[in-house]
Amino acid sequence: MKANLVMTKELVVCHPEQTVFEVLKVLREKSFRVLPVVDENQKILGAVNMLSMLSKLVPEYIVKGYLKSIPYAPDMGVLRKHYKEIIDHKVIDIMDDNPTIVGENESLLSVTSALIAFDRFEYAFVADKENVLLGIIASSDIVRCLSKFDPEVLFDA
Amino acid sequence: MHDSVNHVIFGLDPTWVAVSLLLCVYAIIMAEKFNRAVLSLLGAGLMILCGVITQKQAVAGIDFNTIGLLTGMMVIVAISQKTGMFQYVAIKSAKFVKGEPWGILVMLSVVTAVFSAFLDNVTTVLLIAPVTLLITDALGIKPYPFLFAQILASNIGGTATLIGDPPNIMIGSAAGLSFYEFLVNLAPITPFIFLVTMVCIWFMFGKGLYATDEAKALVMQFNENDALEDVPLMKKSLLVLFLVITGFTVAHSFHLEPASIAMFGAALLLLLQTWGMDLHDKDHAYEGIMAEVEWTTIFFFVGLFVIVTGVEHTGVIEMLAHKTLELTGGDFNATAGAILWVSAVASALIDNIPFVATMIPLIENMAPTFGGADELVPLWWALALGACLGGNGSLIGASANLIVAGFAQRAGHPIMFLQFMKHAFGLMLISIAIAHVYLHLRYLS
Repeated sequence: MKANLVMTKELVVCHPEQTVFEVLKVLREKSFRVLPVVDENQKILGAVNMLSMLSKLVPEYIVKGYLKSIPYAPDMGVLRKHYKEIIDHKVIDIMDDNPTIVGENESLLSVTSALIAFDRFEYAFVADKENVLLGIIASSDIVRCLSKFDPEVLFDA
Repeated sequence: MHDSVNHVIFGLDPTWVAVSLLLCVYAIIMAEKFNRAVLSLLGAGLMILCGVITQKQAVAGIDFNTIGLLTGMMVIVAISQKTGMFQYVAIKSAKFVKGEPWGILVMLSVVTAVFSAFLDNVTTVLLIAPVTLLITDALGIKPYPFLFAQILASNIGGTATLIGDPPNIMIGSAAGLSFYEFLVNLAPITPFIFLVTMVCIWFMFGKGLYATDEAKALVMQFNENDALEDVPLMKKSLLVLFLVITGFTVAHSFHLEPASIAMFGAALLLLLQTWGMDLHDKDHAYEGIMAEVEWTTIFFFVGLFVIVTGVEHTGVIEMLAHKTLELTGGDFNATAGAILWVSAVASALIDNIPFVATMIPLIENMAPTFGGADELVPLWWALALGACLGGNGSLIGASANLIVAGFAQRAGHPIMFLQFMKHAFGLMLISIAIAHVYLHLRYLS
């Protein structure tokens, strides 16, 4: 089985110039976990998800220093302050610019290994050789596919 | 020494080859475009490949006492910092002064200075600077004065002991000066320099430090007990740190080198840390700690020792020593003063580690003039004071300064090179003037 048979093809995407506020609204209203960020030719530029947005709210000296965890610190209103600051920014400022991307002809085994190897989010974008977005595969899509185990479908492609 | 020079390629003069290599490595290190460990190893390799020295001579030139002491302490610190005890002390000290900004600045500077005396400066600021940024975020004030004071405190504190700063480790090892001798000769003056520096910082920033009562209350909400992540490991770390420092203090009486004690302490703490784990977990823990040792620094030292050995073999350093003595008229006091001030200004502008590596053989070569190696001791203190305190002169004066600047940048409050130098260079000169008076009163006449 190949990636293009498992992926979701009907996609909602966003563009780099949209504001964080607009994109978060779409994520919340549609209960999506991720939105691909694409240019006018549908080429993948990055991804926006809740975690990539939250990672911009925590001061860098915490996430990149010796302070891996700070159980002793109060909230200090830092998150809210930074949230207010970034809400009007463009998506390109907060997006994850290195999302997991797989080829349309990659096997399900290869896609699953890629998801585990990159270990950040539970999805991979499917793209052609020009990096044009074709679909998205979530880990739940793979499990769904396996649960409907049909040897002919899984192995002949 | 000249007789040991081998067949230099293309019949080139070994002196020119060695000096050119040394200057090239210095210059490229200053340009900061390449990794300094790679550069020093390349320079060392070329020193041997060009035939200036043999591999045997190169290996003999590597000071394994410095390497062992650094590596051992890095392992001990890598384990102890996981326990959160350093953050505990930082937060406790901030709450001790009830969240008052100036009080916090002083307390965190004291903590930095004391830690820097026993840990390396880079580790100290890596531990304290992020907590400082959390606290200044809570206070709602700019972190610059706090970070500025910590940079100065780390270099002043590091001056106080044999293990506080790499130049001291190198000097102690080369001159056979013990931990105890460093403590007795350098530690007495550092609190005074620290005090004077803090008074100057008060005049620079003290009046501008203001926080609301709500902000101070927020600092009091920090719970230092939650910082302690692994109390059993903390007890083991404290035990080993205590044993190692006691060991350093008495080592000389038992004819032991500090490296042996540090390496033994590191091995003991690795054993204690993994006591009771299964074999797989033990291996995993050892590998994790080994990965945290700053191998870049270690290999930088290895390469540097070889390069300096190469230059030393050509007799250039001996010649420079004679020239220096000619300039000072062979006067001991003038020589000590010159070493102090030149080391300070040089350390502010270039990496003090290669500088001290070159100065050590230069001072050793002065022994015949001043009546033997034992008479040189005040010159070693002058070099240590100049090289360690000189690091405060600019942002590139010491590795710890750059680490703090990196944190400040990430926190959105970058420390500018000239802004720092404007505040710090004068303070550095004051500290060197104090050191000069101290040297004069205690050792010179």
